[in-house]
Amino acid sequence: MESAATPSRWAGWMAFFIVALIGLAVRLPQLNARPMHTDEAVNAYIVGQLLAKEPFIYDPQDRHGPALAALALPMVRAQGAKSFADLTESELRVVPVVAGTITILLFGAAVEMFGFIPSLLAAILFAVAPLPVYYDRYFIHETLFCTSTFGLILSGWRASQTRSARQAALAGVCAALMLACKETALLHFFSLAAAAIMFRFTSVRETGQTRQGHWKTILTAAISFLLFSAALFTWFGRNWKALPALLHAAPNLFARAAGQGHEKPFWYFGRLLAAGWSGRLLVAFACLGLFLIVKRRDASPYQWLAYYGLLIAMFYSLIPYKTPWLALNLWLPLTLFAASAAESLWRWGTTKFPQRATIPAFCILAAIIGVVIAHDTRQRVFLYPANESNPYAYSQTSEDILGLPVEIAELARQNGITTPRITVIAADPWPLPWYLRHFSQVGFWQPGQQGGDADFYITSTEAADQYADELRKFRPEFFGVRSGVLVLLWSPAPE
Amino acid sequence: MMKTIPFRNCFFVVAFVVAASALLAQDKVPLKTQLPRPLFVGTPVPLNVPNLEPPMKGRRPDFMVPAGTLNLAKGKKVTSSDNNPVVGTLDLVTDGDKAGDEGSWVELGPGKQWVQIDLAKSANIYAVLLWHFHSQARVYRDVVVQISNDPTFNSGVITIFNNDFKGELGAGAGKDLNYVETYQGKLIDAKGANGRYVRLYSNGNTTNKLNDYIEVEVWGKPA
Repeated sequence: MESAATPSRWAGWMAFFIVALIGLAVRLPQLNARPMHTDEAVNAYIVGQLLAKEPFIYDPQDRHGPALAALALPMVRAQGAKSFADLTESELRVVPVVAGTITILLFGAAVEMFGFIPSLLAAILFAVAPLPVYYDRYFIHETLFCTSTFGLILSGWRASQTRSARQAALAGVCAALMLACKETALLHFFSLAAAAIMFRFTSVRETGQTRQGHWKTILTAAISFLLFSAALFTWFGRNWKALPALLHAAPNLFARAAGQGHEKPFWYFGRLLAAGWSGRLLVAFACLGLFLIVKRRDASPYQWLAYYGLLIAMFYSLIPYKTPWLALNLWLPLTLFAASAAESLWRWGTTKFPQRATIPAFCILAAIIGVVIAHDTRQRVFLYPANESNPYAYSQTSEDILGLPVEIAELARQNGITTPRITVIAADPWPLPWYLRHFSQVGFWQPGQQGGDADFYITSTEAADQYADELRKFRPEFFGVRSGVLVLLWSPAPE
Repeated sequence: MMKTIPFRNCFFVVAFVVAASALLAQDKVPLKTQLPRPLFVGTPVPLNVPNLEPPMKGRRPDFMVPAGTLNLAKGKKVTSSDNNPVVGTLDLVTDGDKAGDEGSWVELGPGKQWVQIDLAKSANIYAVLLWHFHSQARVYRDVVVQISNDPTFNSGVITIFNNDFKGELGAGAGKDLNYVETYQGKLIDAKGANGRYVRLYSNGNTTNKLNDYIEVEVWGKPA
């Protein structure tokens, strides 16, 4: 899709490279400021296991796929980490930052699909808007999943247009990466395929042309997908049990979709995406863009994107299980719809009004949008990343927990304990393994189990009751784990 | 050889104690305050564990105060160590709204902070009832409540509650217990301490480093 404003290939890539650098610069500061979310702590623990030379064991019940860990392992090693205890928040969160930056850069490869100006505008939005910046600094699978999805869209489109075996293989790799990130890849595969079929019908109706002989391209992509998936899930041949376990992924996905404590109403993502003035503006532009695309009913890739965007938004909204970072998947089509609307608005403005009026008007509009985005990003990402009023902070670990290891170290020093023995008794101890990683003698028990002698006990408020005798000579101190969730640190009581 | 106490003497002692108790009891009435609507089902705090305040089962037992005891804090002037609260205004501390919904609390800056209520006149204070925040399970750190006739709290300070067991606020190491905030608030027995000013300290909480106050009631009688 070429427009009059398309610059040379080199200049175009240069522009996207600069935007990606801006995105990287926005994502890197204060990476360690927000406390580790429970999901981040679990992912960090898995990376710690890999650093200890253990293979990745795929567990469809409790874990996502190995893609994030596979990417994180070389990156944290390159930063000098040798064990779980060595890891830091910044070292781990650099991984999604890099994935997010690649997503921005990928808009450069989207020019032939969506045009230069819309792709550049979408890249700018992705680079600086609060939602992608916030979750690109979260050590969870979503950012890498989003990158892989975009990679699949771009390579899949090219493969379908050019029948290129290389593009087909790349599409297979991207699809495998998606599955190795999250099992929700199945929903995306369905939506992408359904959108492609619907687009094909539209395309045939509008142009009268039919394209045959895709089977070689599909076969190449499928083989690439299977090989790369097998390599990742078996941890490069070290755990073949992962393949039969993978068969349970779909049933587990559907079981989890019922909610599991994360049930939200249908309109949850709509409300989240429209949070703040920047969100409202983006959603307004995206709705306008979508309306214009649907109204055009042409055979452009935007038609396909509209089908895909609507299908995936419908699936995510219908499924009761909702977490805010899933909105990142909706952001991808949304930014392109919004950017397309902006371009259409510009074209309409320049045809209806003289340029000396249109240019200042658009400059003012761009400045207003820039200011509200900068304000919201600053508030949500940098000033109040863990605050309960932040719509993106979900089940966020409290800042208070940061004081727990400090307190144990200080009390151990005061009591002359060089290697404190810590017993943790809680049904769900996460993210405590992350915050206690610097102590060498830490044991975790479920309530009811006998934990053995320790210098310090950490119990959930529910579990402490069962250990009254052991805790009689200990002094309790509350620490907040998450909103409304407390643990008790029991330290030796002064004589 | 033990001397037996005459029955008549015993009778007078018992009769005196009973009569005195009856007189005192007649003078005391249960403290009646309007409780807000519960905003969360409280985190179950462990039972039968030493050094920890047991959770209340149902409503708090009646707390007896002398007849005529009033909430002297209602609508009174509030000052604070933080003159520019993060959220809300200081008058919310004594405005009578204990609901705990958005807009009903004042949030002071991080770390050690205090609020001070000027009762306008010296009073005998029997109870202080305070609500920091009750829409989720939270524990406020280093809660210290003091009464004085000196607005600067440099002299004549009576500490009626102190759970700052590390002595971080400079009021000495406290021995009172930590507690989880609930809609019933924290009732502190002031034992009739005399003073015009009531100062309440805290040092962040288990969710963040900020200090919140929904309402403070000071129950007493003008001296």
